[in-house]
Amino acid sequence: MNRIARYSAVALIVGLALVLTLAFRRDPHDIKTGTVGKPAPAFTLLSLADGTSISLDQYKGKIVILNFWSSWCIPCKEENPALTNVWERYRGTDVVLLGVVFQDSADAARAYTSQLGNTWASAIDDSGQVALSYGVFGPPETYFIGADGVIAGRHIGPIDEATLMTGIETLRKSAKQ
Amino acid sequence: MTGSSKTRWIIVAAILAVGLAIAWSARPQPLTAAEHVDRIAAELRCPVCQGLSVQDSPSETARSMRALVAQRVAEGRTDDEIRAEFQRSYGDWILLSPPLLSPSGLVWLAPLAAVAAGAWLAWRRARGGAPVIAGNGPTAAELQRLRELVASEPE
Repeated sequence: MNRIARYSAVALIVGLALVLTLAFRRDPHDIKTGTVGKPAPAFTLLSLADGTSISLDQYKGKIVILNFWSSWCIPCKEENPALTNVWERYRGTDVVLLGVVFQDSADAARAYTSQLGNTWASAIDDSGQVALSYGVFGPPETYFIGADGVIAGRHIGPIDEATLMTGIETLRKSAKQ
Repeated sequence: MTGSSKTRWIIVAAILAVGLAIAWSARPQPLTAAEHVDRIAAELRCPVCQGLSVQDSPSETARSMRALVAQRVAEGRTDDEIRAEFQRSYGDWILLSPPLLSPSGLVWLAPLAAVAAGAWLAWRRARGGAPVIAGNGPTAAELQRLRELVASEPE
């Protein structure tokens, strides 16, 4: 009986230590979503620039960098130079940069793109339903969608040029294979 | 009918009446659409809040989620379908009560396992009679010495 109690206590302590070790090892920024590794949810939204329809379908076969942003979001402004550089480098290729504005007004978003001189397309997600379907927590968030239409990765928070380039080139390589 | 038998019948009837009244008041009521939305929103975690449900959070994200729930309820989707839609986007984490058959389900199983282990230990102890004394207990010589000491004590 005493032996059982001792073994139970040891098992309890080992179990607790294991749970704590696993919990502390986890990066708190690495928030899991259900969408990575799955087909990117389809959407059709209105273009921020001219109100025409933009759908994910029209970029079939291309690598899509989907960036969720808002004009009031300071980290979105921080990451803008990286997005601009990547857009300039890949524009007209098999890589598409597409912004999705959410939790924002169209007027404020238009003023923002005009002020920063952004020339890539952005669509406005008025209801926030596209953001919810991707599992977005808040702006900025960037999704890497492969040529096969599957979400290969996600970046929460302001993204830098190196992360963007690595993500894009990895997807290009896997598309060629 | 004797007096005591009548009293017994009155008590039985009173208990039955109270039981029926409780059952009647606790019967499942059809939910209105708003109540339906409230119930599902209360089960969903607000992704941008600290431990708040979509129902309790005033955030923009929670408002969007609530609007989506309301839209799905209006479309006639079942609760499971609506929950599954959010799980597809955010994983099981989005549910404030994690499903039993998932890694997060350990939250439910751990207390049950602890209670079962405690009950098993209590049962073992009760079956074994007196509590087991730690250590090896006194030797025959020590017992003999103890007896002699007790016997030598003045009454």
